[in-house]
This record gives sequence, structure tokens and C-alpha cells, in this order.
Amino acid sequence: MTSTLPAVTTLKVPAQRQPVPTQRSTSRTEPPSRLRSSRPDLILCCLLLVAILVVQGWNIADYPTLSDDEGTYLAQAWAVQEGRGLAHYTYWYDHPPLGWIQIALLTWIPAALSPDSMTVGTMRAAMLVISAVSAVLVYVLGRRLSLPRWAAGLGMVLFGLSPLSVVLQREIFLDNLAVMWTLLAFALAASPSRHLWHHFGAGIAAATAVLTKETMLFVLPAVFVTMWRHSHRDTRKFALTGAVTACALIGLSYPLFALLKGELFPGSGHVSLWDGIKYQMTRPGSGFILDQGSGSWGVLQSWLYYDRVLIVGGLAGGLLLLLTWRWSVTARALAGPSCAVVILALVAMRPSGYLPAMYVIQALPFLALVLAGGTASVAHAVLRRRRSEGEKRYVTGARYALAAVLALAACAYVVPRWYDGARTAVTADANAPYQAASKWLSTEVADPASTRVLVDDALWLDLVHAGYEPGLGAIWFYKADLDPAVTKTMPRGWKDLDYVVASPTVRRDAVDLPGVRAAMEHSTPVAVFGTGDDRVEIRQIQTASGGVR
Amino acid sequence: MGIWGDLLLTSVFIAVVSLALFWMAAFTLWWQMHAWRTPEVLASTRFSRPDGGEHVSFSLLLPARHEQAVLDHTIQRLLESTHTDFEIIVIVGHDDPETTAVAEAAAERDPRVRVVVDTHEKKNKPKAMNTALPHCRGDVVGVFDAEDQVHPELLAHVDHAFRTTGADVVQGGVQLINFHSSWYSLRNCLEYFFWFRSRLHLHAQKGFIPLGGNTVFVRTDVLREADGWDPNCLAEDCDLGVRLSSVGKQVVVAYDSDMVTKEETPGSLMSLLKQRTRWNQGFLQVYRKKDWRQLPTFGQRLLARYTLMTPFMQAFTGLIIPLNIVIAVFLDVPVSVAFITFLPAVTALVTFVFEVVGLHDFGKQYGLRVRFVHYLKLIAGGPFYQVLLAGAAVRAVWREQRGRNDWELTSHVGAHLDHAETRAGTARDLREDVPA
Repeated sequence: MTSTLPAVTTLKVPAQRQPVPTQRSTSRTEPPSRLRSSRPDLILCCLLLVAILVVQGWNIADYPTLSDDEGTYLAQAWAVQEGRGLAHYTYWYDHPPLGWIQIALLTWIPAALSPDSMTVGTMRAAMLVISAVSAVLVYVLGRRLSLPRWAAGLGMVLFGLSPLSVVLQREIFLDNLAVMWTLLAFALAASPSRHLWHHFGAGIAAATAVLTKETMLFVLPAVFVTMWRHSHRDTRKFALTGAVTACALIGLSYPLFALLKGELFPGSGHVSLWDGIKYQMTRPGSGFILDQGSGSWGVLQSWLYYDRVLIVGGLAGGLLLLLTWRWSVTARALAGPSCAVVILALVAMRPSGYLPAMYVIQALPFLALVLAGGTASVAHAVLRRRRSEGEKRYVTGARYALAAVLALAACAYVVPRWYDGARTAVTADANAPYQAASKWLSTEVADPASTRVLVDDALWLDLVHAGYEPGLGAIWFYKADLDPAVTKTMPRGWKDLDYVVASPTVRRDAVDLPGVRAAMEHSTPVAVFGTGDDRVEIRQIQTASGGVR
Repeated sequence: MGIWGDLLLTSVFIAVVSLALFWMAAFTLWWQMHAWRTPEVLASTRFSRPDGGEHVSFSLLLPARHEQAVLDHTIQRLLESTHTDFEIIVIVGHDDPETTAVAEAAAERDPRVRVVVDTHEKKNKPKAMNTALPHCRGDVVGVFDAEDQVHPELLAHVDHAFRTTGADVVQGGVQLINFHSSWYSLRNCLEYFFWFRSRLHLHAQKGFIPLGGNTVFVRTDVLREADGWDPNCLAEDCDLGVRLSSVGKQVVVAYDSDMVTKEETPGSLMSLLKQRTRWNQGFLQVYRKKDWRQLPTFGQRLLARYTLMTPFMQAFTGLIIPLNIVIAVFLDVPVSVAFITFLPAVTALVTFVFEVVGLHDFGKQYGLRVRFVHYLKLIAGGPFYQVLLAGAAVRAVWREQRGRNDWELTSHVGAHLDHAETRAGTARDLREDVPA
């Protein structure tokens, strides 16, 4: 029997390492094989990182406004640290728990040194670690996708300094952690050594990203595309199947976990993964994103309010790279990020889907890379396209002049807007009402241990540190209506409560929560912090006889 | 202690066993996939193209015992080699006139063929080869089996490898081809594929290598210095490799799908079991001979220890994994401990997947059509093959304990040869088996 494969024996010595011809075409900016030993890359990356950390870190506790979700995740991380299980209320498979397990690990040492520091405002500092790693990974990925140094740096700046990024990356969102893992998956998928176990690791990182925030599922095809492009023909099938297997096996650990706990399928008297998924899949839609007046439109407007450059520019860059696929080396090199941008844009355009404000977080690095790549592509077209050896000097001069004009125009548009965004971020104090409310509740209430308060998640940990009983004393306001374990401790409804902390979130959601609404109606403000819609009221429950409980 | 103490003890025990199994399986998997780690590594596992120069002369040993049906074909094919400087020494037994007649006839036709008669009372392969060693005139001694299909350009490639690398030993690839014959031959073929395609290269790189039974080439002076093969070892090939690499001889491994020596799997499950028993017993003997202790670094000694013990660990793993999961599911252990018990199963699954991909690659490399049913057989056969390996391991330990170390015979049916006549002729052929 003879082999059908031609003998590929163009190589010299057996049992020795030697280069194989790469399949990449005429890549004009071959990245160094080891970024770690490239001094210009290190210096540029470090400088940008410092700038990003300063802008993101300065005033991080006071801006933006504390979000309910941040409180949720940090409180659950606190529950993990305290050994109370995956959440201090029943864990009901709303999200995979890996995200706040990571937050718990990340905040473990500061929380152990100073337990009171485990509050949303303070622990936002931990997110700086995630931002830093992600920003560096954007740079590394940019270089690994053959972007020139300046373009990779541009991508890092767009990712880390866009006012939209600054606002969102400061917050304790699972999406930020998931983005870090996704970027790691991309960076490993584009590993220059094309090592089997790097690709395997990319699969593990991708699965970790999905288990951190399940919406990362949408980005997996883009990781696959990147891996396909960067693997070698001879080892590709092993690399790709290895990565897919790793990803699937790690991903399956979540249902396995539910199975081992006997909570995979619905049944009476317990929560289940099935119900959790059903809840997420049947969340009421927020309308078509381009339909003015829909919830999704509002979310889009809130993103554009912070930064148009990254969103509009990123989408335009993605479109440009898709259109120039045939001619542009950069466009092909950035296939993975472009693919991610396109998928995420299409998912956001579902006519009846639910679009949360955090959704854009997972798109930020890809928008940044694609915009940087598009810029590199334009720069290349202006400076190098159809340029011959004997090009006249004035033509070359005109090329550089045009490039300079374009760059100046871009700066003139971007810099003032970003400057305003960054100034707000480092100076605004959006959380004064929350801090004052927290202070009031810890100093003005006589006996916190036996006082029952409905409070939103963002303030909950403050109350726990002030001595309120976690779970049934300090109560996440919606649990009073939704968690049977909590409602059964309140047989007389609102009459079993002492206070409601009416933050904007509580006022907004009380509409759908009869118990909370009743408590609001039967209470009067005893302290009000802030004004207008952002005010935080501390309302004391009034019994029918006019006295307090 | 009470119930809590018992549960804790069970949990700790299960966790420790699971983690140990996990690391074992993970390392084995890591090594099994060595060749595909990077495209560069894969490229380096191949023979380099010869430059035309020929400076090494070969003495090719061809031990043949009751091989009259295939021997002539093998000799003819060897004589077609493009290399110009080699001799073939056919070693026959004094009690085997049929094979001797075929060998003598070949020697008369071509002066490059010589016949050496082994007169040992109890015969085995190492004794036969040691008998022929003094008669070797070439710079390099090569070993083939009587039913091997050798590529005509192999010698030229080996010559080139000797010259360009300064190696003392060159090990070429051996590949079982008849994967379609039965469910176990499928797995057996794939085992060879992973071993010669990938794992052996790692051993060569690490400086500790159990050599294969044929398509192995050793410089004659090195071989004589080492006193040839150990006549009392059941895995004399493995033993030679261990002895040579332990004293720092350089071994080069090269695998080209074009250049491999093609063989067949044992004809029945029983003969596979016997072959594997002998192989395991041989590994055990090599382990107990302790030559590997001369290896200079701790890592190399650890690799040696682990490799020589692999059959027994394999047996252990195959039995423990299912047991472990059953315990985890039915015993009320904490979720975290139950999670850990799944770790070895996860590595086993990853190994399975890579085996499926390996089978695909095997089909591509050899231009063989691998059908969907073969993939199914591969997966379904996995657990049973594991049982077979475990059985062979247990049997080997038992035989070694009882001091039984004679050679068991394995029959070959010639399924890898595509000549109808040879297939018919070798159907009932008995010969001494050769481990990889």
C-alpha cells in the first residue's frame, strides 16, 4: 500500500527544531516572536497602561453611580468568602457562579485585612486589576494580529480610555471579567508559536469566559475563526478539536455541577438550572434597537451619550475591513475581531431581544481593535498604496500631508469629547447620597441587629457591616416579594419591616413588586439625601395607628 | 470519628486517587501529543531528504522462524533498496528446514544475501541476532522482521540521518496498517501511530528511549560494545534502547508515512493478549535490571520509571476511573469532591477525542479510507481495549512472579500484504512475535 501524501522532506536534520514556512501572506508588520523581549513594545504598553489606570482609577468610588448589579455580584462574592455558599439567598442559576467566585478571590486579601472595605465603592478598585490585564491583552492581541505598534497602541487607548469604557470598566460587572478571559482566549488562539496546548488553553479560557458571563457564547465563533487562521495546516485539526473539546468539557462542568446538586431539572421545592435558563431566555424583550422609544433604543442612546467614536467608528471600521477583505492584509488579519463585532451587532439588532446596558462591554475590545485596524488600513492606503520606488517627492509629501490632516481632524474631533468624559470621571461625585444614606443607617438607627430594612443591592453590604442581619435584617428589596424563604418571615407583609431605603432603583422596580410598593406607601421619609431623581430616601414604616413598629 | 470522620476519610481518599489519576493521564496525554505540539516539532519528526551521498554500509538482520511464506518476498523487497552498500543476513534455526531452504535459495540468487544458522537449543529473537552479530560487515546493523514491508528509499534516508546528526542509533517508524481487520486491530494500529509518530520522538529528545523491535539501526561498534542484545529479556529491543540511552548514546527517531515499515496486528485477540503480556513482562524486566538508573538527570530517571511502569498504571487507571465515578455519584460526598472525581474522566475524554482525530490523520497519511463505522468502533472499543490491556498487565505480573519468561508464539496472517498468494500462504504461519 502506498501513501497518497507527497513526501514533505524539505528539511535538514531530524529531531531538531526548525521553522516551517508560514502560511501568512505578505504581512508587512510581522510582530516580534516574543513581545516580552521587545523594548519599544514594553515601553509603549507600560506608558499607555499607566495612563489608563490613572484615568480609570482616580475617583473610582464616586463615579459612576453605584449600580444595583454591582451590589448583587459583590454581595454574592462576600457570601462565597464567608462560606455561605454561592449566594446569601438561595442560588437560583440566574448566572453561572464563576464570575463572583473570581470576584471573591480577587477581593479576598483586602476583605480579610479590612472586612468593612467589602463595599461596592471601595472594591471597585479591584476592577482596576481586570482593566489592566484586559488592556494589556488588547495590545498583545493587536500585535499578534499583525497590527503595527502604533495601531496596537491605538487599540489599547480606544479600549481603555474611551469615556464609555471608563464608565463601564470601573463597575463591578461580570462582563468585565468575561472580557478579560475572552481576550486571553483570543491571544492564545493567535499565539505565534501555534502550540497545541496554547490552543487548548484558548478553549479553556473561552469556556471560563462563558461561565463568567454566559453572553460570551456569541463571541466563541470569532475565537474559532482566529484559531483557524493562526493554526498551521499540518497541526490544525489537532489544535482546533483540542480547543473545542477543552471548551465543551469546561463548559459542561456547569450542568454537571447542577446535576450533582440534583438541580439540573425543575422539580418541586428546589431551584434548577433549567428554570434559570428558561428565565434568561424568556426575559421580556426591550424592542428593536433602531425603533425610537423602545428600551433598546434608550440603551443605545446611553452608550452614544458617553462615546460615539468607539461605537460608530468601530462599526464603520468593521464594515471597512469586511469590504476590503480581498485586498487588505489587515482586514484578513483582523478577521476574528471583525467577526465578533458583526455577531454582537446582529445579536443587538434582534427585534424582540432583551438588551441590557452592560451588553456593550463585551464588544468594547473588538470595536477598539477593529477601529484601530481600520485606521491602520486607511493609513496604509494613504501612505503606501501604489507607491513605487521612483515616486516623485511631492507625491510622497502629499501622502504624508494628507495623513497628517486626517490624523489632526480625528484628534480635533475626539480629544475634546474624551477630555470632557475623563474630567467628569475623575471629578464627579455621583454617590454622595448613597454614602450619606449608608452613614445615616449605621449611626442613627438604635439597634441595627433587630431592625429590618428593605434596601437595594448596592447598599446591602454597607448595612451588613453596620450590624444588620444579612438576608433577613438587611433585605434585598425584591427578595421581599420574590423569594419564598424571605416572604415567609414576613407574615404581616410591610408591617414586619422598619425601613425602606428608596434609592432610584427601588423606586423604579417597586412598580412591579406589590410588597415593596406597599412598604413605600406606608412609610414616610425620615432622611433624604440628594435631590431630584437621584435622591436616596430613608423611609420609616408607619403602622395604621400612626406609630412606628 | 463517627459518620463525619468516615465521610471525610472517604472524600480525602477519593480526591487523592482522582488527582493522582488525573496527573498520570494528563502527562500521558501530553507526551502522546508531542509531535503535534507545534508545526515545527511535527516537521522535525520526519526524515530529511537525502543528499545523494552514501557513506554508511549496512548489515540488515532478518531473523526468520517458520516464515517460509513471506520471507522471500521480504528479501526481494529489501534487495530493491536504492542504497548501494548493504548486505542481508537471514538468521534461520537449525530445526527449521523450510525457512532455511527459502533463505538459501535467495542467497544463491544474490550475493548480498547471506544465511546464518542459529543452533541454540531454546530459540528466541535476541539469541538469533547475537548469533549473527559477529558476521556483520557493515558500519551499521539494521533489524527487520521477516514479514516487514520496507520502503526502497529507507536505507538512503537512514544513511543521511546518521551522517547529518552524528547519531549512534536511528529508529525508523513501524506502522500497523490493517486497521479494518477488527475492533482491536483498529486500536492497535492507532497505538502504533501515536507511539512511533509522536511519543518516541519525545523520548529521543529527552534522552531516554525504549527502542522498537525493527527498523532500528545501530552503529555496529556501539552494538558490539554493548554486547548485543540481552538473550534473557522478553523485550530485548526496549532493553537495548534503555541501555544505550542510559550511557548517553544519541538516538534519532524519524517517521515518514512513506518510509515506515508496515506490519500487521496479531491475528486474534488471544495472540494480542500474549504479545502484550510479553511486552509488559519485558518492560518489567527492564525496569528491574535498573540500567536506567545510570541516566544523568532526575527528570530522565523519572521518565524512565514512569514509562517502564506505564502498562501497570494503565491497567490501574482503566479500572479505577469508572469505580471512582460510581463512588462519587452514589456515595454522599461533597459536590467539590464529586467534581474532582470527574477530572480523570475528563482527561480520558480528551484522549478519546485526540484518538478520533489521530485516526483521521492516520487515514489521510496512508491514503486509507476511514469510514464512520471505524470511528464508532474506536470509541466503543475503547473501554474493552482498556480491559484487555489491564488483563495483559495482570497476566504479565503473574507470569513474572511465577518465573515464566519463555517466549509465547503469536500467529500472523499477513493481512497487511496485498498479494493474494502471500495471504493464503501465511494464514497458518507461526512465528515469534515482535513488540514495538
